Amino acid sequence: MKIRLIGVILSGVAIAALARPAAGQAVARAADGKPDLSGVWQAVNTANWNIQAHAADKDVPAGLGVVDGDEIPYQPWAAAQQKTNLANRATADPESKCYLPGVPRITYMPYPFQIFQTPAHIAITYEYVHAVRRIFMNSPHPDGEIEWFMGDSRGRWEGDTLVIDVRHFTGQTWFDRSGNFHSAALHVVERYTPISANHLDYEVTIDDPRVFTRPWTMSMPLYRRMDKGMRILENECYAFGLEHTWLKPPQ
Amino acid sequence: MAQAAAIALACAIVLAPYSGAIEAADQGRQRQAAAGAYTPARTPDGQPDIQGFWNPVGTFYNIQDLEFQSVYQNFRPSDPERRGKSLIVDPSDGRIPYQPWAAEKAKLVLEHHADPTPQLLDPNARCFLQGVPRHLNNREFEIFQPPGYVVFFNMAHHAYRSVPLNGGPHIPDRIKLWMGDSRGHWEGDSLVVDVTSNNDQPWFDVVGSFHSDALRVAERITPVAADTIEYEAVITDPKVYTRPWTMRLRFERIKDYGTELYEEACFESNERTLDLMLHRPGR
Repeated sequence: MKIRLIGVILSGVAIAALARPAAGQAVARAADGKPDLSGVWQAVNTANWNIQAHAADKDVPAGLGVVDGDEIPYQPWAAAQQKTNLANRATADPESKCYLPGVPRITYMPYPFQIFQTPAHIAITYEYVHAVRRIFMNSPHPDGEIEWFMGDSRGRWEGDTLVIDVRHFTGQTWFDRSGNFHSAALHVVERYTPISANHLDYEVTIDDPRVFTRPWTMSMPLYRRMDKGMRILENECYAFGLEHTWLKPPQ
Repeated sequence: MAQAAAIALACAIVLAPYSGAIEAADQGRQRQAAAGAYTPARTPDGQPDIQGFWNPVGTFYNIQDLEFQSVYQNFRPSDPERRGKSLIVDPSDGRIPYQPWAAEKAKLVLEHHADPTPQLLDPNARCFLQGVPRHLNNREFEIFQPPGYVVFFNMAHHAYRSVPLNGGPHIPDRIKLWMGDSRGHWEGDSLVVDVTSNNDQPWFDVVGSFHSDALRVAERITPVAADTIEYEAVITDPKVYTRPWTMRLRFERIKDYGTELYEEACFESNERTLDLMLHRPGR
């Protein structure tokens, strides 16, 4: 049993090493032999400001973008809508209203998130507005006209890659602060692949036939937060600035 | 005149639930005595398995008076004769041992809870996180036990609370959180959780039973049967109470619920309604 487990670990490392020559330390394994993605992770990029390449601006850090090929294949009407969104972003961006930011935006917002993993069920808890996702493995999406801010997530393993199929979105979330958007017909496929003990490769396929002419992808690394005592804290965005509206006990 | 009536009402509330509290305490002791008879299954990492969907027993509109809701649901003045049990088993009178200033504040919220000013609106109704212990004595919740953790998920407000079992230290108390900082360990089949870094916003119930940011909660969560969990929370807050106090209740397994919680985007859905409520004429 032990020998077989080691064999699984070695072959897993070998595959990772082939795919990613600079893999580094071995990927941790869960008891069922799957990669163990448990822990606190965070993207380190500027995609939340703009998923495409952009120079710095006031309060905007520059970035190379996360869209593969740097092109978003909008339909003509949608390209015009994106420009309108961009012009009105100060109030139109759902982030400005502290709404649940949807998927994949929640992943690359500048806040950490924690993955909890069991064979049948993975949960991801996010610091930003205590968003939470439940990923049920090898189970079908529910039927019906469901519109959830965070969508409905169903997972499966493809080798060492956790693949999450996400449907049933609202049309009320954006991809970034630059007005890049989708409709409620959004279909997201996320792929989380460990490339070292402390890095995940995160690839996302975006499909929305109401808004885009074809599916498109974004990709970025995710980094393990290794800070001493690291835990998810809180960012209760919608409570900020309301302190005057409630009673404070005397200090 | 109205004030005098309110004081009379408050006195009635103080005196009434004696017998109920003692009865609840007896039931609790009986349940704990029975706890030894039940041994829960173990998770792969050796924890007693308490996973699943749970409901707090009863509706905890007023933790000091569990029948309060039934007389207040129509938002009529309550009938002082119809008083029920308290969740509080210590002190034995079933009352929160407020310091005098705090009792005054609690009375104010109680009087106005059915038609509150913005300042007196239940933070739960504003979609703020319910805090500990209210997120467990409000509505349904789920317990999930991945290796090394116990994680609570609420459908209400999509709240979560993760309890690490690794013996790590609390975060600096300078940080205050709506859901606090939980650290847990298993003592036999009881999950023991220490909750610090609580902020001063969550209430214990709809009628404004409250605490400050000096709150510390010591929880003990014990499965006593396959479908029953005994929950006890010792509440300490030297800024607000004269002594620690203890509440105790049961969780019962929800069997007819399915196996998944849905998304409740509370703030996203309620924002406009709350805005209208808070800014309606006369406010």
